[in-house]
Amino acid sequence: MTAVLEIKDLHVSVEGKEILKGVDLTIRQGEVHALMGPNGSGKSTMAYAIAGHPHYEVTGGDILFNGESILDLEPDERAKLGIFLAFQYPVAIPGVSFANFLRAAVSNVRGYKERAREQAAKSGDGKVIGSELMPMREFRKELMAKMDRFHVDRSFANRYLNEGFSGGEKKRGEVLQMAMLEPKIAILDESDSGLDIDALRVVADGINKLVADGMGALLITHYQRILNYVKPDKVSVFYDGRIVLTGGPEVAHMLEEKGYKWVEEDLAKELAAA
Amino acid sequence: MTIKEMTSIYSITAAGVDAIGQRYEEPEWLRQARRAAWETFESIPWPTYKEETWRRTRLTGFNLDDFTLAQESHPRADSRAALPADLLANLEKIDSGGALIFLDNTLIYADLDEDLAAQGVIFTDLRTALDEHAELVRAHLGALVPASENKFAALHYALWENGAFLYAPKNITVEKPFQVIVQFSDGKAHFHHTLLIGEENSELTVVEDFMGAANGMSDSVAEIYPHDAARLHYLRLQNLDHTAWNFATMRASLQRDALYRHLQASWGSRLSKVWIDLEMEQPGSHGELLGLYFPQDHQHLDHHTNQNHKRERATSDLLFKGALDDQARSVYQGIIRVWPGAQKTDAYQKNDNLILGPHARADSIPGLEIEADDVRCTHGATSAKVQEEYIFYLMARGLSRRTAKRMIVQGFFEEVLNRVPVPGVRTKLEDEIARRVGLE
Repeated sequence: MTAVLEIKDLHVSVEGKEILKGVDLTIRQGEVHALMGPNGSGKSTMAYAIAGHPHYEVTGGDILFNGESILDLEPDERAKLGIFLAFQYPVAIPGVSFANFLRAAVSNVRGYKERAREQAAKSGDGKVIGSELMPMREFRKELMAKMDRFHVDRSFANRYLNEGFSGGEKKRGEVLQMAMLEPKIAILDESDSGLDIDALRVVADGINKLVADGMGALLITHYQRILNYVKPDKVSVFYDGRIVLTGGPEVAHMLEEKGYKWVEEDLAKELAAA
Repeated sequence: MTIKEMTSIYSITAAGVDAIGQRYEEPEWLRQARRAAWETFESIPWPTYKEETWRRTRLTGFNLDDFTLAQESHPRADSRAALPADLLANLEKIDSGGALIFLDNTLIYADLDEDLAAQGVIFTDLRTALDEHAELVRAHLGALVPASENKFAALHYALWENGAFLYAPKNITVEKPFQVIVQFSDGKAHFHHTLLIGEENSELTVVEDFMGAANGMSDSVAEIYPHDAARLHYLRLQNLDHTAWNFATMRASLQRDALYRHLQASWGSRLSKVWIDLEMEQPGSHGELLGLYFPQDHQHLDHHTNQNHKRERATSDLLFKGALDDQARSVYQGIIRVWPGAQKTDAYQKNDNLILGPHARADSIPGLEIEADDVRCTHGATSAKVQEEYIFYLMARGLSRRTAKRMIVQGFFEEVLNRVPVPGVRTKLEDEIARRVGLE
């Protein structure tokens, strides 16, 4: 079955201020949907709302995953469904190694814990005997293979999560996490920002490989640049908390040429006409 | 004398002090030291919040009359197999070169690697050491932490009955750690003494674990002597019951080019008042002081540290990290003192606190007193809450809120854990941290 994430007439407020004012959007597995818009238009709010950040209050509309509302789910439950958010600003967590963290995350998302508990229930005394974690050898093997495939230096494994990482390293780290967690739908919040051309290529290459494997991607970006490397199926333009235009890749080129000013003027005309 | 009379004499009184001297048929110098300590104890008023040292830690509810001395003797275990299961399990977490287990004042179990004994290493209880190596004990007992140090040290010297004694001769390096487990029974006052002596160019590691004392009190003293170029590592794990009162005074005196590393893990007690001093007595010495604490509920843990640089070219490095849950409180007061002439001192002091509970509070008072001009001294303190953005990031990757929090707290302590020199101790500390954060 192809997973579908549907956003329907979504209204989101932050600290009482409405940021999203009725967004409709559908993302399917295997598709790349680019969401472009000027700074402050609410793109990141959308990303956080989908992932379930508690500070982003959904005041209207719905978010459906395969037809079921996910609004009542905690962020970790959304991750287990197969939703991934690549952060624009990944936080650094001192003392937590990339590998240890990722092993715990992968084990949770792939249901090792549930299986260990089921077995414990069957064993009679209810004690958890086996590990709730993916076996270390298996994990290391997969991690190393994916580090190579996604051009991430092997030294990442033993470094503390994002601590002392450059901007480019953080974004590569997000791609590696995405590759390990194998989401059905990924929201990439400005994964291209602040990257030099080499890092941008690595990130784009990672997204392309995962999309080829069947992942759906919502690519949130300010610039057209990354779309030279990742070909979108659809492009939507975001403005003042709404999607004002959706089309094919040509929309991105138009934006590149005319800038966001064009959207603004167009919108003004439309409003005047109404 | 009837048993009843004996019990009444064997109390926290001047008569009780004399009764201990009689019971063990102690030499006169020791009986005199006890009496003098009792007088000192009586002459020092009970601390009040008006003293800077006690301003943040009050002894409300503490009453010495609530406790009796632990006079009962316990049977000796001839082998590890004869030990109670919980003590044995604790003992076997560490691969040690020798072990002492105390039940109150009784040494109930002892072993020591034969080769080490043949090399002149002495590892026994203080009572045996007093009988067999009287001059060594007399030269060191109370020489570093005098009875006049504070009211609790005075009480300790009046009433101590036993403790751990470890001595390494010149040039002896012992790779494996020595282990001391001290189990205190409930409702009593306990006065355990620790004496560690490393002669020139020796190396020793000691792990000492304190447990029990529910509704009781522990008033301990540790004196540590790393002589010239000796390397001593003392890992002190305070696991007392959460209803115990805990007072401890510890001091190491570092001689020329000596290395001393102290780890203080404070988990237990309802209230702790702990002093740890590094005396950088001679040039070229290097002291390290690592601390971790994690109070919960209404626990109150107060640590004082002193990095006392008396001579030139000594270095000291302190890192104390604490997480506080519920309504718990911690106090950290640390000072780096650099004496005139202690040039080329390099001293570092850092206290970090992670606040988990809504009503938890950490007070941190770092200080410097510098009387030399060619030194490098750095200190700092931080206090922070677990950031919701960290939790969200980890949860967005599929970790539950609880696991996310546990990872962040474990990560916070990692900087200390990475420096724990005994792997078995590191595991014990990790387990305790995980237990406190709450496993799923």
